[in-house]
Amino acid sequence: MSIQLVERDLDRLESLWEDGLSDAYRSYLEAVQAYEPEAQPRLALAAALIEIGLRLQGLGGRAAAAPTLLMGDLCLARSSRLLAGAAPQSVQIAFARAIETLSSSAASGSSALAPRTRDLLLRAFEAK
Amino acid sequence: MIGRRLRFETTQATEFVDITDRLREEVHRAGLKIGRLHLQSLHTTLGLAVNENEPLLLRDFQVLLERIAPEGAGYEHDDFARRMNVATNEPVNGHAHCRQLLLTGFTTVLVEDGDLVLGQWQSVFAVELDGPRHRQLALQLDGEFASPLSPFSGEGQGEGRGRSAEAGPASQTLVELELARQLLVDPEPVATPMRRLVEAGGKRMRPRLVQLTAGIGPRSEPLRAAALAAAVELLHNATLIHDDYVDESTHRRGQPTVAAAEGPERAVAVGDYYFAKATRLIAEIGNRDVTSTIAEALEAICASQIDDVALRGAFPGDHDSYLRVVRGKTAALFAAACASGALLSEAGPEVVDALRRYGDLVGVAFQMADDMVDFSPSSGKPVGLDIRQRVLSLPLIYAAEDRTVGPEVRRLLAGSLGDAEVGRVTDLVISSNALDRVRDEATALVETAVHELEAIELDGLRPILISLARSAVDRTA
Repeated sequence: MSIQLVERDLDRLESLWEDGLSDAYRSYLEAVQAYEPEAQPRLALAAALIEIGLRLQGLGGRAAAAPTLLMGDLCLARSSRLLAGAAPQSVQIAFARAIETLSSSAASGSSALAPRTRDLLLRAFEAK
Repeated sequence: MIGRRLRFETTQATEFVDITDRLREEVHRAGLKIGRLHLQSLHTTLGLAVNENEPLLLRDFQVLLERIAPEGAGYEHDDFARRMNVATNEPVNGHAHCRQLLLTGFTTVLVEDGDLVLGQWQSVFAVELDGPRHRQLALQLDGEFASPLSPFSGEGQGEGRGRSAEAGPASQTLVELELARQLLVDPEPVATPMRRLVEAGGKRMRPRLVQLTAGIGPRSEPLRAAALAAAVELLHNATLIHDDYVDESTHRRGQPTVAAAEGPERAVAVGDYYFAKATRLIAEIGNRDVTSTIAEALEAICASQIDDVALRGAFPGDHDSYLRVVRGKTAALFAAACASGALLSEAGPEVVDALRRYGDLVGVAFQMADDMVDFSPSSGKPVGLDIRQRVLSLPLIYAAEDRTVGPEVRRLLAGSLGDAEVGRVTDLVISSNALDRVRDEATALVETAVHELEAIELDGLRPILISLARSAVDRTA
């Protein structure tokens, strides 16, 4: 499957790409088939960045060390920019709500009961 | 003194537009308690009048005007063959100009107890004489306002030099209400720590910039502006919660940080929650340019935070690195706040760009002033905190470059930093000209920011934007 991402989208994330981000990206590509072809790579990357970003931060588990947390923050911020440019408003909102759900569960100590990140993000794509 | 523009559209050739309520609203928004509201028509076929809003009487006025200056009565102004420089769309409107001569183009309404001083039957009219058209009136509000305007008045800091409707107490209250409303509906585990941070104060610079710039374009909607302003403030606070964990800060705004009080895991979750919520609130506003502007700023902030931490290995760093980090870490959201407010109000691209540059410059200057506060015993914060945390700081960079104190500063910063070392570095910075250099540089940036405003139409908001920029530097806390 071809990867049509611009350099800016992966800037500073090259090592993450090799370390799980590319796999997550590919797994989301299937979920974005209903979107415009040019938007699909960015939407899949946005979802992958959220999944990897939250994992890096240690959300719902042990908090990451400072540099790793900041990398996770960058993943979330990059995802936000990609969604702002490529996703309909309803999908942007659905992605934000997914993170709200996961982080409020983590804050209340009930992460084990929260839906899986990937399930929530896949569902967010359906908000189109 | 506040300057504003009142814009409206007329629908008839001759029309008495009652603007009393809109003027009352301007007085209220500005917080003018006692003084004068000056109005001036910006058109030669739009008059002003103070009279009774009774439909038959208004018809009488119209008939009177038509009788005195009937349409098509052979006005020389309408003889285009004899006139110079006649526009292709020049209307035949000699009658309208003559009718305007019977009215007035200027008026002043007194203000007492925060309201217009008008008799029981008096209303203020803009009188259209050649409509339908887009029209505007210039307003100036002069007198005693509810509270002295300070860009930092939310904290009682700084000294105000101007006033503005958009920066007035009413609009600030709107943001505070919106913040409180948003926190009210959130789950307690995330809302409680954020409420503690929000209620502890903060300068509210970014929301204020959003509100100010949201009043510049033709679509000024205070409620949407307040929603955006509150979301931007939540986003800013979300980044602070993660920053405090990264910097191992124990206190912010006099309160324990989320990481210190509730642990790093909670800090991560609360920061994430409000990052997501703020981006959702912004998306819900439904302006793609605004959403993208804020998202790009957020990315710049995160990238700069990574650089900031990486540079601590080369503490205190150099001027170029400092500027690069500060542009992202602090100035990006200032610039985005200015641009997004203007975009929300549908201001023109040249206005948005100028405000973005203004915000960027003010943001950098603001951070420089913040660095200087670290060396001020009267700031209310522990002196030398930035040194202790090895945070990038321009006074330290300049002190390290100083021919006299530089060698000792560099030697001390290269070792472990206990109380004695931090105290000594602080003394060395104060004894050098580093603080003066930083102040001069920040002041120059502010003047450049002010210069950015010169070429654009700001609907009377120039004084408050200038005041806000200067206050960003002229502070001790």
